[in-house]
Amino acid sequence: MAGAQAGSTRPMGSGLLKQIALFGGGLLVALLLDFTLDKAISDSSIRQLLMMAACNILVALSLNVINGMAGQFSIGHAGFLGLGGYSAAVVSANLHEALGGGEATFGKSFIVVPVSLLVAALLSGIAGLFVGLPSLRLKGDYLAIVTLGFSEIFRLVIATAQIGDKETIAHAWSSAGSPRGFVHAISVMITSLGGQNGYAGPKDAGVPLYAGPFWVVGLAFVLGVVAWRLKFSGWGRALRALREDEIAAAAVGVDPTRYKVTSFVISAVGAGIAGGLMAMNRDGTPIVQPDSYNFQASFDAITMVILGGSGSVTGAAIGGVFVTFTVKAIELLQSTSAVQALKQRFESLDLNALRMIIYAAVLIALMIVRPEGLLGERELFQKKAPSPAKAK
Amino acid sequence: MRTAHPTRPRRTSADGKPLLSLEDVQVSYGGIKALRGVSLEVRSGEIVAMIGANGAGKTTTLKTVMRLLPLSHGTITYAGEMVSGLGPEELVSRGVSLVPEGRAIFPNLTVRENLEVGAYLHKDAKTMRETIEDVTALFPRLGERMKQEGGTLSGGEQQMLAIGRAMMARPELLLLDEPSLGIAPKLVQQIFAAIRRIAEAGVTILLVEQNTRLALQVSHRAYVLRTGEIALSGSSAELAANQEVQAAYLGG
Ligand SMILES: Nc1ncnc2c1ncn2[C@@H]1O[C@H](COP(=O)(O)OP(=O)(O)OP(=O)(O)O)[C@@H](O)[C@H]1O
Ligand SMILES: [Mg+2]
Repeated sequence: MAGAQAGSTRPMGSGLLKQIALFGGGLLVALLLDFTLDKAISDSSIRQLLMMAACNILVALSLNVINGMAGQFSIGHAGFLGLGGYSAAVVSANLHEALGGGEATFGKSFIVVPVSLLVAALLSGIAGLFVGLPSLRLKGDYLAIVTLGFSEIFRLVIATAQIGDKETIAHAWSSAGSPRGFVHAISVMITSLGGQNGYAGPKDAGVPLYAGPFWVVGLAFVLGVVAWRLKFSGWGRALRALREDEIAAAAVGVDPTRYKVTSFVISAVGAGIAGGLMAMNRDGTPIVQPDSYNFQASFDAITMVILGGSGSVTGAAIGGVFVTFTVKAIELLQSTSAVQALKQRFESLDLNALRMIIYAAVLIALMIVRPEGLLGERELFQKKAPSPAKAK
Repeated sequence: MRTAHPTRPRRTSADGKPLLSLEDVQVSYGGIKALRGVSLEVRSGEIVAMIGANGAGKTTTLKTVMRLLPLSHGTITYAGEMVSGLGPEELVSRGVSLVPEGRAIFPNLTVRENLEVGAYLHKDAKTMRETIEDVTALFPRLGERMKQEGGTLSGGEQQMLAIGRAMMARPELLLLDEPSLGIAPKLVQQIFAAIRRIAEAGVTILLVEQNTRLALQVSHRAYVLRTGEIALSGSSAELAANQEVQAAYLGG
């Protein structure tokens, strides 16, 4: 990306050392967590909650690029998460088989996780390119509909692909010479993803859960720093300028076309990684299902960003954590005996609907008290002016 | 005010050729013709004013020069090169900067960030730092408000910021679209003093202004635009004395 290094007048030497210390420290903490978390927290549901929070930070950070920094409005983030989730699940499961199966060890995760996430990021990024192209001609609601269309198509194609025989993919491709054969082979592949029931590896043995706290927390940390840097880089500045005034931004030489499309690609890449990590999360479930990527998931992501303050990196992170804990709190409430007793009487009782009420209440309250979100565009931990080009 | 740019040759007013020239430029919005064949010239070192009533096509002319609007006919030449087919970023890197109409600053970016975006195509750190120094010397009020969000500035300060942002690219030709619009008289004086200093530093200026008196005072030459056509042109002193101009634009 041209422009990312613009205005970097900070002294190189000490900055580099600081950065090595920052990244080294973050990764060390993540590494320690990987080995100690199971012992420190025996309740797996709490571990799962913490890991989900880290993943959701990535979900919020990635959506923040489009909805916050670029000022576009995507309501189909779940599509990118799903593409990342399914890609990582398929790649990691097959790679796991190829490596001889067995246990998902920490050592092997250094092969499986990077490869799976790379594929997830790549495929999601390509989808981002195609969904981003209409952003050149469409704005606001119309663009939002395109993003929603993408994510629903993605989900429904997988969810409804259940028909068809148990033909193997290899066999289908061997006769894929004709256009019809090709389409058939593709549909066999999609069917192999398990339709509504979900995908649990090529032999239905479950998606291997390679992404322990080292990967989840480590990547949340590293990508968080990347998001922060991106915002205050020349690229982020130009993107935010474009959001505020397209003519004025173009007049200083910012190319709207390039920025709009790249912001979609970057956001999608981030979502691909987030989705991939969730699918392989050690404390998660060994199956990916289309319903995890429904509109509710996109809406959750939007809530995270709006809550924290559109455009704010730290705000997005806070929003991600808040939404995770709301989901968990409701789950806990569901399992209390009082609610269980109520459920006996009213079968259709589902407290998940409460979530929408809580979000709505919080969002309305926020609109009244702080329409710009918790932090607005500002950042926590930002004492001096964000700009690197400060005169020394 | 340092105006030389490290990667651009310095042109002098001595070569006699116009820095900017428009020849029979026509621009339409959909079916509506906004410019019906505008021809004009700006020479190095000049301050040229463009005056005219609302809707005459002044903003359209400046946006077209900046290549923000497609032209349906005619040519634009800058420093001897045809630029009609280029994009805005090419114009910026050749030394043209636009201060858009209505203080189009970036309200949620800080003052410093607004200025930095202005140097978007010139990433050299030292030049950027020096230019920020120069801009804050020109507009001390900006220097005091570097961390403030652009949208929180007063109208006059926002106009200063818009001019400062345009200066960040170290332009050779500055296009100004109504710098006095909706600003208190005292600040207008300050802004025009700054424009004079920018011109003294060697920057050529094409100024669009509703305040005809002020425009004719500060400029060397002027064009009068009427419904997309040049109706009159001449030295500013001549035009100020012209009865038609007096009746139509000077309220006398
Ligand atoms: N985006 C647009 N779409 C359609 N018509 C437009 C557009 N912008 C300007 N016009 C029309 O083009 C003509 C010239 O407009 P322009 O903005 O250039 O005028 P102006 O001389 O700058 O006026 P003012 O002094 O009010 O700023 C006007 O008739 C205007 O209505
Ligand atoms: Mg105008």
